[in-house]
Amino acid sequence: MELHRDFADTQQKQKQHFHVLAVDDSLIERKLLERLLAESSCKVTCVDSGDKALEYLSLLDSQEIEYSADLSSSPPSAQEEAGYMKVNLIMTDYSMPGMSGYDLLKRVKMQGSSWKDIPVVVMSSENVPSRISMCMEEGAEEFLLKPLQLSDLKKLQPHLLKSLVHPTEDISTSNDHGSDDNKIHDITTLNDSDNVLVSERKVMSPEPLERRPKINGLLVV
Amino acid sequence: MDGVVQLQKQLVDYIASLFHEGFLDEQFNQLQQLQDESNPDFVVEVVSLFFEDSERLLNELAKALEQKTIDFRKVDAHVHQFKGSSSSIGAHRVQKVCIAFRNYCEEQNVEGCLKCLQQVKHEYSLVRNKLETLFQLEKQIIAAGGSLPAT
Repeated sequence: MELHRDFADTQQKQKQHFHVLAVDDSLIERKLLERLLAESSCKVTCVDSGDKALEYLSLLDSQEIEYSADLSSSPPSAQEEAGYMKVNLIMTDYSMPGMSGYDLLKRVKMQGSSWKDIPVVVMSSENVPSRISMCMEEGAEEFLLKPLQLSDLKKLQPHLLKSLVHPTEDISTSNDHGSDDNKIHDITTLNDSDNVLVSERKVMSPEPLERRPKINGLLVV
Repeated sequence: MDGVVQLQKQLVDYIASLFHEGFLDEQFNQLQQLQDESNPDFVVEVVSLFFEDSERLLNELAKALEQKTIDFRKVDAHVHQFKGSSSSIGAHRVQKVCIAFRNYCEEQNVEGCLKCLQQVKHEYSLVRNKLETLFQLEKQIIAAGGSLPAT
């Protein structure tokens, strides 16, 4: 029953360690997105521009190099306690001043990019078919219309699973993450004034699913 | 406890009227659904951000439309933001004016834009009053020891 064990293991991993990088220039949108994602037990990092998103991804890359020297054989939870947690999904607004969501998508999916395999979801308040196909052609995983709702997050479940499982495995079942008893809220925010400084709150180390209390993180948006 | 029941009924009726009159739409329901014991002030927080953001945008719009040579792309950018934020909290009537506003921007129609600015200011202040009344009612209910009706 290896597949069953892998699946349960993945579910456990997902509830604990799913890290989304949310990119939107609107404070209100970031707050909404953060809340929606937290509802799905995701750790969320919010940034207000495409440039900041790239900076953050680069920062994680350099941390990974640093940590892998010390923690190469450690489990993900140890890496996370050390403050490093790679991004599993990028959700970006399409219309942003400066670098657009489309520009960000192109950069992430570029030939030779170390972030090529991170799924990118593009969001927009405008339903423009040519825009949608442009993004999908460039490698976007999904295109969501704003304002986002809880039901849209359900659409993302397969993508959440996909990036945690070995690429050759195919898991198409969707999960129900409506349970309240193991939410982890962990929010990291980059503000304009912070440059690339990251303020992080540590996620509590994982406990067996049935006994995990609700952990409330502070919301800093 | 009768007082609380009265207040709760008042709140439910008030919210229903806001939907009926088009001030709020389904998106506001979404916000309410995201409020729970771990996020007890979520709606107030988001709406407060909306108020702050709107005041800023209205100022920017007024400034941009006062210029001798109007930069319609700038005006449109502000309206686009306003449309986005109002849509995110379910401020339906404000959003509708923003849509018309953007059309005038595209046409570079100064008069149309000025008219829309007045309209959007008006709709914004209406929905602001309504929401503040709503939050007041909620506060009264909580203060009287009651709980907010489920959405």
